[in-house]
Amino acid sequence: MSGHALTRRSFLVGSAGVAAVAAGAGLVSLSVRGEADADAETDKRTEVVHSLCNSCSSKCGYYAYVVDGELTKLIGDEAHPNAQGKLCARGYGYSQIAYSPDRLTDPMKKNENGEFEVIGWDQALSEIGQKVNDIIAQYGPEALAMVQDPRPSGKYYTKRFMNALGSPNVYTHGAACNLSKESGFTQAIGAANFESDVANSKMTMFIGRSYADAIRPSSVAALQQAHENGAHIVLVDPRLNNSIAFADEWVPINPGTDLALILAMSNVLINRDLYDAEYVAANSVGFDEWASAIAGYTPEWAEGITGIPAADIERLALEFAEAAPAASIEPSWRGAFGCSYANSGETARALCLFNTLLGCWNQPGGALFLPSVKAGDLDPAKFPEVPKVEAKMWGAEEYPLALSSMGTNLYVAEMAKEGKVKGLFFYNSNMAAGYSNPAQLAEDFANLDLMVVVDVQMSETAMLADYVLPECSYLERRELPEFVGGRVPVVSLRDQVLEVIHPNTRPVDVIFTQLAEACGVGQYFPFTVDELADAQLRSVGTSLDELRQVGTISFPEKAYAYGKVPEWKTPTGKIQFTSEACEAAGLSACPVWVEPQVMPNETVGEFRLIGGKQAIHTHTQTANCEPLMDITKSYGLDRIWINAEVAERLGIADGDEVILSNTMAEGPIKVKVTERINPTAIYMPSHYGCKSPDQRTAYGVGLNFMDFVPFHMEPAYGSAMTQETLVSVQKVGE
Amino acid sequence: MARYGMLINTKKCIGCYACRTACQRQNDLLPDESFIRFEEREVGKYPNVTVEHIPLQCMHCEDAPCASVCPTGAAHMGSDGIVEVDHGRCIGCLYCMAACPYQVRTRNSKTGEVDKCRFCTLSSYENGTKMCSCVDACLTGARIFGDLDDSDSEISKEIARTGAAPIAGDLTRAKIYYVR
Repeated sequence: MSGHALTRRSFLVGSAGVAAVAAGAGLVSLSVRGEADADAETDKRTEVVHSLCNSCSSKCGYYAYVVDGELTKLIGDEAHPNAQGKLCARGYGYSQIAYSPDRLTDPMKKNENGEFEVIGWDQALSEIGQKVNDIIAQYGPEALAMVQDPRPSGKYYTKRFMNALGSPNVYTHGAACNLSKESGFTQAIGAANFESDVANSKMTMFIGRSYADAIRPSSVAALQQAHENGAHIVLVDPRLNNSIAFADEWVPINPGTDLALILAMSNVLINRDLYDAEYVAANSVGFDEWASAIAGYTPEWAEGITGIPAADIERLALEFAEAAPAASIEPSWRGAFGCSYANSGETARALCLFNTLLGCWNQPGGALFLPSVKAGDLDPAKFPEVPKVEAKMWGAEEYPLALSSMGTNLYVAEMAKEGKVKGLFFYNSNMAAGYSNPAQLAEDFANLDLMVVVDVQMSETAMLADYVLPECSYLERRELPEFVGGRVPVVSLRDQVLEVIHPNTRPVDVIFTQLAEACGVGQYFPFTVDELADAQLRSVGTSLDELRQVGTISFPEKAYAYGKVPEWKTPTGKIQFTSEACEAAGLSACPVWVEPQVMPNETVGEFRLIGGKQAIHTHTQTANCEPLMDITKSYGLDRIWINAEVAERLGIADGDEVILSNTMAEGPIKVKVTERINPTAIYMPSHYGCKSPDQRTAYGVGLNFMDFVPFHMEPAYGSAMTQETLVSVQKVGE
Repeated sequence: MARYGMLINTKKCIGCYACRTACQRQNDLLPDESFIRFEEREVGKYPNVTVEHIPLQCMHCEDAPCASVCPTGAAHMGSDGIVEVDHGRCIGCLYCMAACPYQVRTRNSKTGEVDKCRFCTLSSYENGTKMCSCVDACLTGARIFGDLDDSDSEISKEIARTGAAPIAGDLTRAKIYYVR
């Protein structure tokens, strides 16, 4: 616990917009039951602690109010660049996970009957340590791997643990998220991401990304600002998403064909000589080759593929030319090409090349590379360097374009099946429910000698494990500082808000330090998380004490400025219209049209299944959170969406139950009949179908999207191709 | 005396539910106890379609039907035009829930008592938020709270500027105004 009483932080409270409390001397009640109670309860002890949300990867900062040890209020941190003083629905609702009756409370081991038994930490650690060493002795450290969803402490400790054991195999959830996008960007511009200057743009196009459905508060604010400024905001999406409140135009593209749209718009700009030729000449290689390769990709050609009228494609291209350089295609996140199709990586590459034609990089209203700060070198005596692992991670050779910072963990599942990976750790990852073909993944993991899951609740992945290690929730632990990029980069802290609720749960840093000790590599962990946090912070001119006082510290001397020509970190040092690495990986040197792997045949009742986030959930991790799942249940948000005309043809009415099926799976689900979806697609939200009975709130609600997705990987990029799947529907009772 | 009301601009509402979960979190409500409910309306036909999200909550009607039917006086018009629930008096008969034309009263599944939006800003000065939780939480500034009798208040000016009106005309004398 922080030990900071409210008075010590009263200046913070003011900055968080909580003026009334700041005036109070001593301990002020924050009872929420109204004025009378407040007076009667002034002996209550209130603390205000800065934390970072854990409900999605944005990790927004907020101040948590704790009254007599109980969480009461959350107030968004105005200094945190993602939050800007606000939280989304998940931010408030997910905090309930700390008090969930379904928390994991003790280490568990699966017995011979396949049932979990509670064991002590000592037994769990020593048995895991023994098995890890057996695997290393017999198969080498490459037979060990880790899958983790990056969190401030988790990304450090999991990687260090694996590397200390001699294994390079550390994977994020990228293969089912944004691996193709970031890997494709890297081939074109040498950076895994950028940020569109939406607020100051004259025109921004979103492809499959909805700021209003997968919410980062600062992004919503930027979109609203753009709209109020009169920017032309275009949503390219098979679904009319909720960002339409601040957009001008919905382009209901056939899913999987975004690449054709980008290529055709590029074709128009080049054919009409409306691109920034000077910028292209000064900053790129391979333009001529690409220009001739896409000469046939006319708007008329793209109309037949995308379903968007040629005149609209041409108009959009001309509007872009008019708005440039204060215009861009927004980078998206998972959206349409993070991991969805056989052409996702190439879509990402083409997107960067289109933005290059606009000459919009680092221009006001264009596409920006924002600065971030990172910790400097630390004292090697206190924080010993882990010897560099020379071996390449699994999949690096087979999927050479996949960023090594993410890797393709699907290939690790393949290696488990083949007996090459023997020990697999998961941290904060529900791979067995969140990736294609969970049934096959379960079979693959069954081949492992050792499967260890660290989580806060019994996920489907945890159900498959040999050992489940219970972590305390994100509100019950202090983590390493989180460096956040932005206009003004900052460092922000997830401090410990609540005392540990279940005494046998432990924070991630302790779990992996103790695992390292049990595995015989404890010499690389001779420090506490506080010592490491303080050292990291001192390397950038501050300290843990200082950060704990204010929550977020900015680095104004590193602030972003428009106009700088980026340093292109590609092999050629230029923007690459052609990429040798792509060619070597079996793709075209410059991005050309790539057919999706499957296309729906309407005449036989096939639809493409598309997924996507709802504003109240993330992955499968929030579904068991009562305040969030109650919204799902109240409004039937687990329903699939079917186009109104299609539904009428199939005799399906709003609210009807249908059987959704394909060669992989089938199951009953209710239907939302809507005008808001392309007729070739069926949308299913990605959060439901929980199969873990211990998650009593989420269990059995809806279907799991991934049950309907075959196990396959995007050529060269290694993503899960989560929307390369077709389904059909049958009304129940027919 | 003030006469408090709220304006909700559905043109700015993205249907994200942050108002609901913030209200629950900051007011310590049960997960299935929501003071805000949501309607969604599609307008037009594919592909020329748009969608409107409409959050609904206690309208703090000056002629509150809930108060007229309440047999114990638990539902009553309080000070500053805020319809209140005196929990000590609520017997859980649910008449008020049946009488509310907006269907925005909710029964606490633990206590059986009825509750609804309290315009929590008035108590929140002591509680740590400067404004109603829903107004504070709204990502897009779709909500404005203030004194309808003060012609200089932000809400009065915005109602005058936008022509905002109660959701159901003169069904009741509601004090939540909608821009649609």
